[in-house]
Amino acid sequence: MRRLIGAVPLLLAITAVLFGIMKSVPGGPLAIYEGTPGMTDEDMARLEHAFGLDQPLPIQYVSWLGRFLAGDWGYSIIQHQPVLGLIGERLPNTMLLMGTVFTVVLVLAIPIGTVTAVRQYSWFDHLVTGSTFAFLSTPTFWLGLLLIIVFGLQLRWLPLGGMRTAGVDFDLVDVLRHLILPVATIALVQLGGRVRYLRASMLDTIGQDYMRTARAKGLDERVVVMGHALKNAAIPLVTIIALDVPELFAGALVTEQIFGWPGMGRLLWDATTRNDYPILMGVLAVTSVLIVFANLLADVIYGYLDPRIRYS
Amino acid sequence: MSWKTFGNAAVVGALFAIVAAACAPSTPAAGTAAPSPAGSAAGAPVRGGTLVVAIWQEPANLMPSYQSQTVQSVVLDTVVEGLLRATPAGEYEPVLAKAVPTVTNGGVKVSADGKTMDVTYQLLPGIKWSDGEPVTSADVKFTWQAWMTDPKVGTREGYDQISSIDTPDDLTAVVHYKAIYGPYPTRFGRLLAKHALEKESDYSKSDYVRKPLGTGPFKVTQFNAGESFVVERNPYYRVAGKPYLDKIIFKSVPSSTVAIAQLKAGEVQAMWNIGEAETADVANDPNIAVVVTPSPYVERIEMNTAVNKDGTDANSVHPVLGDINVRRALIYATPKQQIIDKLLLGKAQVGRTVLSIGWAAPKDITQEGYDPKKANDLLDKAGWAKGSDGIRSKGGVRAALTISTTSGNAYREQLEQVLIDEYKQVGVDLKIQNYPSSVFLSGSWATGDQRKRGSYDLSLYNSAPDIDPQSIVNQRYHSKNIPSPANGGVGQNYTRVKNAEMDKAIDEAGASLDFELRKAAYAKALKILNDQAVIIWLSERTDLTAYRKNVQGQGPGNGWRNFAHNTEEWWLSK
Repeated sequence: MRRLIGAVPLLLAITAVLFGIMKSVPGGPLAIYEGTPGMTDEDMARLEHAFGLDQPLPIQYVSWLGRFLAGDWGYSIIQHQPVLGLIGERLPNTMLLMGTVFTVVLVLAIPIGTVTAVRQYSWFDHLVTGSTFAFLSTPTFWLGLLLIIVFGLQLRWLPLGGMRTAGVDFDLVDVLRHLILPVATIALVQLGGRVRYLRASMLDTIGQDYMRTARAKGLDERVVVMGHALKNAAIPLVTIIALDVPELFAGALVTEQIFGWPGMGRLLWDATTRNDYPILMGVLAVTSVLIVFANLLADVIYGYLDPRIRYS
Repeated sequence: MSWKTFGNAAVVGALFAIVAAACAPSTPAAGTAAPSPAGSAAGAPVRGGTLVVAIWQEPANLMPSYQSQTVQSVVLDTVVEGLLRATPAGEYEPVLAKAVPTVTNGGVKVSADGKTMDVTYQLLPGIKWSDGEPVTSADVKFTWQAWMTDPKVGTREGYDQISSIDTPDDLTAVVHYKAIYGPYPTRFGRLLAKHALEKESDYSKSDYVRKPLGTGPFKVTQFNAGESFVVERNPYYRVAGKPYLDKIIFKSVPSSTVAIAQLKAGEVQAMWNIGEAETADVANDPNIAVVVTPSPYVERIEMNTAVNKDGTDANSVHPVLGDINVRRALIYATPKQQIIDKLLLGKAQVGRTVLSIGWAAPKDITQEGYDPKKANDLLDKAGWAKGSDGIRSKGGVRAALTISTTSGNAYREQLEQVLIDEYKQVGVDLKIQNYPSSVFLSGSWATGDQRKRGSYDLSLYNSAPDIDPQSIVNQRYHSKNIPSPANGGVGQNYTRVKNAEMDKAIDEAGASLDFELRKAAYAKALKILNDQAVIIWLSERTDLTAYRKNVQGQGPGNGWRNFAHNTEEWWLSK
């Protein structure tokens, strides 16, 4: 509880810094009117006033914060939609994408990590260690483009981007086909990290005294590995997964952009390129809150899973 | 994790372009095709079908009065119409009005004192909004009122010249102007529906912003931000039997490279705005045709004649560019045709003035061509002597300049490299300092647009005039529109050019309703502007649209509007 209260000034500081950074970037949301025939300086001044951009910075921040805390997240300056509504449009798409990634990574990381640790230095271990290292070092944008070129352009097996075929209202198979490449892109990179964590942690655990004790009790090897080793070895993994939770909200900036996935990442990207402050502040503030709470959550879970750790 | 790769994102486009180009099918086939005349060879138009068009920018909203992006007008042109519109030739034609009101046909009446005027529009009878409500003169009046009362509209230009509007009957609107306003036919280009908006206290927060009513061939049925924008047949469209298509889906894709890939794969049948250099990617595809339309965009380099300083004094003289001989030498040293051939694959014309197409374009005005020898002679005579490093100087001032443009634009960045070499040959040292477009083109004194502040040497960008040139010519070349600290940064005369005769010609053109007189006045002003040698007119750009060959009926393009200007005629062949 004390830690929860401690998070409040931290979050306030984060939003203030974000606001300051955002506003110190030259240019502004009204730059979209450049090149519009007939725009005069009078028009620009009127728009600046209409959107409150002519106010001093601290006043803009305080008024934003006040409205934000009251649940009014404001309107996009360029899209003229409520920020909450825009998030509502994109969040389900991002949850679908990141949720699938989350599940796929978890389902694959645990068995692969376990097997590579138990069968250390086997051909399988070498293969996995080598390829996870390769994927871990691969930039997402490059991997994404490679997958598009191979499976989309060359083999024509999968669509090149988007979330569904244009004109198709809702078709599960269609959405799944569109999901494969973006999920693979993020999952392959993430999987590398998770597997390596679990493998290292498992190796560490397998060498512990209580493992020898378990075997000495005559327990079946499967029970020893699954029941005793994995449970302890999973603790660091749980922490990492908890820290991933904010991504379920924020989406994947680069991957969504490459695949044209209509999620939070693209919303954030567009808002960034257009300097659309209300959207940026709304999304980044929520992301900050989630990151702070994910850290707290990770600490709590850690303490629960490992009785040796207790917070006073 | 996402933020980690953010910095790499800029590379994405470039890398994808390279790899995609490498993977392009190498089938030898017909090259880039000319626009296919409506209905040619493909037989009679077929009714029905869905067309998917890739757009690689996304309309932020579809509110006619908030328009700022080209892609907004692409979608809006299928949906919202007005009283008049531009023809491909850059003249006016009636849409919802019976005729274009002019002095000759009595539609425009100048007051006895010659200071004000009335424009009378007769509406076509029986026109309905896409929800079935009738279009009346009250909508015309409401459109003006909305533009003048809603603080969030873009430009109010022209509407602010109207003092009142009378609606003697449902089909007659008499617009009273408080001055003689030559560009009156450009106003009311998109009508707003009174019955749908009048009950709203803040238009920007209404559904209209995403799904405006219109009288065009289609109506907006879905606005899926980040994904697609769907327009479907408007049952109340005034032309029987049209449109042929049931539906057009504007599919949002992340980049033009992806749009090209989807066009090749047949996932989309048309693509908005393919780059000149990108046409090479589709030139060998037998299923794809590229339609080239002249556009009003003119690429230029503006030269600052005042001292390069933040908030410069407009009367100060640039140590290098203040000398007209240097400016003229740079014009001679710029290989325009070579740049067009190499960087734009020949799909542009050499620039001449700010008006490339339309009724006012002075076709006989040109600018000096490429002649580095003349450039060197000019500079020699003007006393700019070459130093040991080959760079000229005069009175201790080195001929060193900086050029700026929007970063991330491959064509402009390559062009800058060409200019470094070319200018070096005439003894001028050129450096590059580029900025993101939201910074470089912010157009705001407060956020420090360097063109506004005068803190630049050379600025490379393009812009387009409206079909009526008064706004752009007046704002950019009239001496009263030089932005300075004294006037709070008002105006867009970024070169700080001052010429009393040019001012006079611009004022004359703006105060007249006689198209011939206005045309002559613009020609005079633009000739003087070229004599001042403050702008290098690089090229007149084109609008390029790529279609799969089963898309029929596009007809000639319309540079004043866009490729979607006649979608009621489009149809799909097998």
